[in-house]
Amino acid sequence: MRFLAFILALWIAAPAAAADMQPFVRGTWQQILKDNAGKPVVLHFWGLTCAPCLAELPRWAELRKARPDMKVIMIAADTPASDTADLLKTLQKAGLAGVESWSFADAFSERLRFEIDPRWRGEMPRTILIASDGKPTVMVGLADLPAIRAWYDVAKK
Amino acid sequence: MATVRILGLAALLVVSSAQAQQHDHAAMMAAAPSSCKEATLACADKVTPFFAADSSLWVAWSANGRVAVQHSKDQGHTFDAPMFVNPQAEKLDAGADSRPQIVVDGAGKIVVAYTLAVGADFAGKVMIARSSADRKDFDPPKPLTKNTASQRFVAFALDPSGEVFATWIDKRNLVAAAMAKQKYEGAALAFAWSNAEKDFAVTRIAQDNTCECCRIGVAFAGPHKPVVMWRNMYPGGVRDHAVMTFGDSKPGPVYRVAVDDWKIDACPHQGPSLSVGAGGTYHASWFTDGRARQGLFYARSTDGGRSFSTPMAVGDNTRQPTRPFVLANGGSVWMAWKEFDGEESVVNIMQSRDDGVTWSKPKVHARTTDASDHPLLTAKNADVYLSWATLKEGYRLMTVGNTP
Repeated sequence: MRFLAFILALWIAAPAAAADMQPFVRGTWQQILKDNAGKPVVLHFWGLTCAPCLAELPRWAELRKARPDMKVIMIAADTPASDTADLLKTLQKAGLAGVESWSFADAFSERLRFEIDPRWRGEMPRTILIASDGKPTVMVGLADLPAIRAWYDVAKK
Repeated sequence: MATVRILGLAALLVVSSAQAQQHDHAAMMAAAPSSCKEATLACADKVTPFFAADSSLWVAWSANGRVAVQHSKDQGHTFDAPMFVNPQAEKLDAGADSRPQIVVDGAGKIVVAYTLAVGADFAGKVMIARSSADRKDFDPPKPLTKNTASQRFVAFALDPSGEVFATWIDKRNLVAAAMAKQKYEGAALAFAWSNAEKDFAVTRIAQDNTCECCRIGVAFAGPHKPVVMWRNMYPGGVRDHAVMTFGDSKPGPVYRVAVDDWKIDACPHQGPSLSVGAGGTYHASWFTDGRARQGLFYARSTDGGRSFSTPMAVGDNTRQPTRPFVLANGGSVWMAWKEFDGEESVVNIMQSRDDGVTWSKPKVHARTTDASDHPLLTAKNADVYLSWATLKEGYRLMTVGNTP
């Protein structure tokens, strides 16, 4: 029983720590924002159809290793959705196994993108920094990782 | 250097409403629309039309890993049974701008191209399949080239002479540069020809350093004079559009369509559209998010692409205008694109009766409230059609107008 409680506590403490791919559907964006309300979070959009994204993944792994305090969420936004196994394999190869991960799971990608940013036409990679007060900053293209670290240092205070 | 900007008011509203709302996430996931799991035209996510010389319609489509061809003698109202082109479901290139290509060549054979995603890095591999002479079935598909570097976004166009022109984005020179430990930006624009004797046997590079993730626009300025428009890479990582007219099948000079100044280290996943009118005017349409302009644009060239008119903004930028398609046919130029208002996707169409100088007000021609393919325009003689596959409604070929 105590073991079960321990497992339960782990699960509550880190609901998304499992090396799993969660389906990103209508409403997920607001859910993620709600789940992370009040703390800074880095959301990175990537995809298998995007060569610059794949080239950049190992740098995200380095960032996570250097800054374990930073909450990073990876969202695969291929449309149509890429195969979950392929996405997980790619993340693992890049050193990103275990990162909280989502994948677009609705072929109506316009609607998913519209909920995130009505201006977003599907360019990737793309990174959104959400501050503790909910203020978003969008980085289009390859991420300026030193700038993200600097932002996080200020944001988490 | 990444571009940093603060989201507009709409996104801020999303954030504040997110904090106010108490959604049940499990219920949300259950409410996701059921997807279409069959290998049928009704479930196709990409459908490409082609009107043959006998005015009948052929479509090539992809659905759940299968690629097939279907024939209609009544402008898409009914179709014969599908002829499957690939032997089983395969991992197809999932790029938003990737789609099967189809033409009926001068010898009367159907030629189809589609792109597989292969290997750990999901490189593209273009496959070519030809029908039998009676167009009743297909020979087994073969790779477009023996070269194993990635090939993506193949585009077919039927030359007035009956030969097939193919152009695509090719990474062979990137691979060669990497092996020589040299820097190479983007990918390259490649091309090949096919007729009864030569089956895309010679594949060549027309231009190095192109964007690697967008579709290509192709039209003809005359026999053996294909005109190609693509997202190019300019110094400093600027991904603006270029146009090239082949002369006697050989690559010609590269001209810039517009200085949008879109500096972005990313995949825009949005390629251009090009059409050439009977009088030789080039009609170009594209998406950019550059420093000079943002959104969908149209421009025309009356000097073979050397210079283009000042880009004209198209569509409502508050409604995600995307996927422009331009078609010159008879005495008119037509333009179609998609817009989305948060709930519904629509295809807007506008018409120019003066070779692209002035345009009618856009009119909504079709709507859907779920996933949809890019809208395409095609013509049979004077009749212009909108070709659009939508998850809810299936495939539709809709009359747009008549331009004698």
